[in-house]
Amino acid sequence: MPMGWAIMGAVANVAMVLLVSPLLQGIGRKLTARIQSRQGPPVLQPYFDLLKLLGKEDIESGETPVMQRFAALLSLTTVLAVSCLVPMGFGSPMNSAGDVIMLIYLLTLCGASTLLAGMAAGSTYSLIGVSREMMTMITLEPLLAVAILVGAVHVHSLRLEAVLSGSVYGNAGFPWSGLVMLAVMLLSLQAFVQRVPFDIAGAETELMEGPLMEYSGPKLALCQYAQMARLVIYSSLFSALFLPWGSQLTFPGEWLLFWIKVFVLVLLVTVIAATHARYRIDQALRYFAGLLGVSFVALVLATFGY
Amino acid sequence: MIARERLNQLRKRFDSAIVRADLPSDRQLFVWVRPAAVKEMCRHIFRDLDARYVVSIGADDRPYSGGFVVAHDFAFDQDQVLCSVLTQLPETEPKIDSISDVVPAANWAEREMRDLVGIESVGHPYPKRLVLPDGWPEDVHPLRKDVPWNHVPAEFKEGATFEFEDPPEGCTVVPFGPFHPTLDEPAHFRLYVEGEMVRGCEYRGFMAHRGIEKLAESVMSYNDIPVLAERICGICGCVHSVAYTQAVEAAAALRPPPRAEYIRTIMLELERLHSHLLWTGLACHIVGFDTLFMQAFRIREPVMWVAEKITGNRKTYGLCVVGGVRWEITPELKSELGQVLDRLDAEWGPVVGAISRDKNIQKRTQGVGIANKEVVKNAGAVGPVARAAGVDIDCRRDHPYAAYDRVDFEVITAGGCDVWSRLEVRMREVFESTAIIRQCLEKMEPGPLQLEIKDELPVGRIGLSSVEAPRGESHHFVITGENNRPRRWRVRAPTYQNLQAVPAMIRDQQIADMTISLGSIDPCFSCTDRMETIELRSGGKKTWSQRELLALSRGRK
Repeated sequence: MPMGWAIMGAVANVAMVLLVSPLLQGIGRKLTARIQSRQGPPVLQPYFDLLKLLGKEDIESGETPVMQRFAALLSLTTVLAVSCLVPMGFGSPMNSAGDVIMLIYLLTLCGASTLLAGMAAGSTYSLIGVSREMMTMITLEPLLAVAILVGAVHVHSLRLEAVLSGSVYGNAGFPWSGLVMLAVMLLSLQAFVQRVPFDIAGAETELMEGPLMEYSGPKLALCQYAQMARLVIYSSLFSALFLPWGSQLTFPGEWLLFWIKVFVLVLLVTVIAATHARYRIDQALRYFAGLLGVSFVALVLATFGY
Repeated sequence: MIARERLNQLRKRFDSAIVRADLPSDRQLFVWVRPAAVKEMCRHIFRDLDARYVVSIGADDRPYSGGFVVAHDFAFDQDQVLCSVLTQLPETEPKIDSISDVVPAANWAEREMRDLVGIESVGHPYPKRLVLPDGWPEDVHPLRKDVPWNHVPAEFKEGATFEFEDPPEGCTVVPFGPFHPTLDEPAHFRLYVEGEMVRGCEYRGFMAHRGIEKLAESVMSYNDIPVLAERICGICGCVHSVAYTQAVEAAAALRPPPRAEYIRTIMLELERLHSHLLWTGLACHIVGFDTLFMQAFRIREPVMWVAEKITGNRKTYGLCVVGGVRWEITPELKSELGQVLDRLDAEWGPVVGAISRDKNIQKRTQGVGIANKEVVKNAGAVGPVARAAGVDIDCRRDHPYAAYDRVDFEVITAGGCDVWSRLEVRMREVFESTAIIRQCLEKMEPGPLQLEIKDELPVGRIGLSSVEAPRGESHHFVITGENNRPRRWRVRAPTYQNLQAVPAMIRDQQIADMTISLGSIDPCFSCTDRMETIELRSGGKKTWSQRELLALSRGRK
């Protein structure tokens, strides 16, 4: 792909993520409200919320305000950087800029920005949030890595384009490892996007938003924006890895189909979030550990070609 | 065993120490003893006779008898007897042996007695300040009769702070409150945390004093107080108003007409309904299940509307006067109430079913916040906390009042001792409440709503009343007095005892379980932080003084 196309594609992806994620959030809130027999806010409310927060006074607070500001910027920029690497309705725009290892690192950095945010606040509650986030990351990140590795093993490549096109299902035979990983990722998607029952690090009723508790105004807007974008990113990754059908279509068809898949995934996440209670950190960790065990089995299966 | 038999039992052992005994009825027993024998008698009643500790009351009786009065209230729940052990202390030396080492549940009440009335409990295991603000001078006791209700001590120390204990080794301190999203009212728990585990805590509450008892004893009249009592709590207000009126009625040997008793029962049960629905919703919210929170509130709303139709208000009913009630339930209201109950039963069933099947909620609540029989006994815990530990107590059955002796209902108990059992008890009590209201509507005969009281109420009599609030027993103690108002009125809300069980419930638990464990007693701090003459803020690092804050909030309009 020529340089020009790559840049245009990246810009298009970033713009779409920025544009669409508040809308999906708004739809999610509306759906949640309906499940709860409520009217709910207008679908466009998240845009207004962000605009309002962005227009507020930028207050320095917490123990290290510089780090706090940095963490807020980092969280949004990493998410946007990831969106340059993930195919969203057309091939991965920055395909040649990196491989899947880079993708995994960027996603980890995204989590690390939450840790930074919590440490910058320095209060007891945000530190508890940080320790929970850390524990979650340690058990959760390998899941995604294994899913990507299973794909990489199947296609014998670490190139983004090769791996992020339904590679987990392999080339021939019944895709055992792919299906196992599909189940594992479906069961952990909620945790990657930090929604109930796995919103443990920020648990409002326990930790008062944990790492984010010292944030307000524009910085909070950035963090919230990143949070919304995260949902889109992980849904895109999920559909690139596991729902490749329709990627042979030509541009508008493929593109439309992709956003429909993301939309359905967002609805799924919302419904699960609205019908569950929050897990405790030890319960969640046990759950992730179980999934991790299963995913290693899938990896072994993949290396043997299943 | 009725009150007389209990008295004989006590006489056998303490005959020489008993000065006098009053038996106004088979259900109430007042034993006046010599101060030296109080501790041993309380131990005997609490441990050997296995009575439940209710509350301790200190009263400044100097203008009338020349001394102080101390009362320790106990309940013999199986016998339907309330018993008060009273003693008189000389004016010069208001000191008495502390009973807290033999009756741990008396811990708070004795500290409060020292703060507010200045009666020293000698040998108290934890003699720290409980009720008064940190800057309040040591020698001013607001509930003494020589302290005016609007007294502002000049020696108040603006910057004083509460001195907390040092945390145990290896633990960090996590401050929980005074402001926290799951605390609707201010209270402060200083948690000692090791990793994610809570190893202990220290409590500092009483941050919202309103001086209600002092106000009642010095400014208001008998029939003003029910309305004031109702404002003790935003949820179980009617309970306090009924409990106060009943205490006065017991002291003056009055009995309201039957229809009034039925109406009190109906309103109390309506209150329990909306309180339990609210609590179930909040419990779900605490564990992050907001959908059930919303549904519970939706189902609860018609109860509020029907209460508003009956009394004119969603919450503060203004129901009671001494000797009766103020609101009638007309035939139209009766049929509407019936419809609300039918709908509630129909809608609540599925919610109970959903929660009972939900593994997720059970995981978060089973084995969490354990308060077993021993904890319940030692803290004097009541209501769903006790019943979820298999302690079969319920004032509606054990100390019948209003029309509860004329309706059939089951006292729901569970054996898990945990948050899940408390949830189960409360969810099932909703159905009992609707059944009770239906029976009342059916059995109620037309008749007068209020007693005609021609004479002044007798002076110097003592009345006790226990009412089963949604959270447990609310106990009121009244000494009648001159000028158409009580001399002493002591309110003990259920949270006052239940909160004392919380440290045991959260020890060696995950910090994530702290909020739901505390939530499971359905804490009501406004009920607990009941009294003080004025509200003064104090606090360590604050740069704002109270005066500045007031000026700030009043200046900007």
